[in-house]
Amino acid sequence: MTSHKSTREVLLTCIDEIEIIAKELLDNLIAQKQQKPVSAEHSQLVELVLQKDTDLKATLKLAEEQGVLQQKVVALETEVERHDIEIRNLQKQLKEAEQLLATAIFQAKQKLQAIAKANSRPVNSEELIKFAHRISASNAVCAPLNWQQGDLRRPYPTDIEMRLGFLGRLGEMNVNGHISFPELLHRPNHSMQQGSSVPNSQAGTYSWLSQNDLQMPGLSVSHLGVGGGMDHKTPKKENEDVDVMSTDSSSSSSSDSQ
Amino acid sequence: MSTRGIETDEQQRIRFQVELEFVQCFANPNYLHFLAQRGYFKDPAFVNYIKYLQYWKEPAYAKYLKYPMCLHFLDLLQYEHFRKEIVNGQCARFIDDQQILHWQHYTRKRVKLLQSQAEKHMMTIQNEPTPQKSV
Repeated sequence: MTSHKSTREVLLTCIDEIEIIAKELLDNLIAQKQQKPVSAEHSQLVELVLQKDTDLKATLKLAEEQGVLQQKVVALETEVERHDIEIRNLQKQLKEAEQLLATAIFQAKQKLQAIAKANSRPVNSEELIKFAHRISASNAVCAPLNWQQGDLRRPYPTDIEMRLGFLGRLGEMNVNGHISFPELLHRPNHSMQQGSSVPNSQAGTYSWLSQNDLQMPGLSVSHLGVGGGMDHKTPKKENEDVDVMSTDSSSSSSSDSQ
Repeated sequence: MSTRGIETDEQQRIRFQVELEFVQCFANPNYLHFLAQRGYFKDPAFVNYIKYLQYWKEPAYAKYLKYPMCLHFLDLLQYEHFRKEIVNGQCARFIDDQQILHWQHYTRKRVKLLQSQAEKHMMTIQNEPTPQKSV
C-alpha cells in the first residue's frame, strides 16, 4: 500500500481526469456542429468517462472503509495511552514501596545490631541504677542547679576531700603505727560529727565508697599486676602528696561564657 | 598467682580502697599538674602503675567509681605527650575550665528547656483569650 498514492490523491486525480474528459467531450460536441461527426472518438470518450466514474465510486467506497478503520485506530491508540499511564503509575508506586521497604529494612538491621551489641555485654539494671545514682546524687557529673562562680564544689575530688579520704589519713596513721581497718572505718564518722567546716562534706569521707562496697563481692585477687612492687611505694608517696597538696594552685574562676 | 606473697583479706581491702581513691584523684587536673611538677610522671615505675590502674575501666570495678571522669584522664595519662603537657600550668587551668563548663552542660540544657517550655506556655495563655473575643 505504501507505493500507492494516498486515497485522497487518487480521488483528486480521478476527479481531475473526469473533468478533462468532460471538457474533451464538450469540445467534441461543439466541434461536431462545425465539422464531420467523429463518433468513434466520441463513444470512446464517453466510455472513458463512465469508467472514470466507476473508478471514482470505488475509490470513494475505499475511502469510507479507510475512515472506519482510522477511527478504530484512534480508539486503540487512546486505549494504549491509557494503559501506558496506568503502567507508569504502578511503576511509581512500586518504586515508592521499594524505597519504604529499604528504609524499614535498614532501620530493622540497625535495631538488630543494637540488640546484639546490648546482649553481648548485659548489665544488671539494678546495678545500672545504683551506679547512676552514685554518680549523679553527689553532683559528680552534673553541676548542681544553683552553682555559681566562686562555689567551691567541683566535678572532681578537691584537695580538701582528698585529705579527708582514706588515702589522706592513711599517711597520718602510718606514722602512728599500724592501724587496723575497722578503726579507720569508725573514725571518719566521729570526725564528721565534730562538724568540719568543709562545704562539701555532706556524705563524709565515704562519699566515694559506701559501706556495702567494702565487702568486695567476688573481686578476683588476680590484680597483683605490674605494679606489685609499687604497692608498698605508692601509699607512702600518696601521703607525701596529700600533705603537700596545699601548695597547689587551684584555678578558682572558670570563664562561663554563655 | 600463688607465687606472690599472700595478701590478707584486710590488706586487699585496704589496697582496693587506696587504689579507688587514688584513681579518682586523677579527675582533678590540678592534682595531675601537681604530680607532674614533682616529676612523678617521669618515674617508669609510676608510669607502669598508671598502666596497671586501667583495670578500673572494667565494669566490675567501674561501678564503684563516683567520679567517672577519672577514667578519661587515666586514658590520657597513658600517653607520654599528655604527661609532658600537664606540667604546664596553663594546660592544667585550661583543662579545669573546660571540665567545669562541661559539668554545667546538662544543667544549662535543662534550664534552657525549662525556659522554652515556660515561654510556650505563656504564648498559649496569651493566645487563648483572643478567639473568645472574636466570637
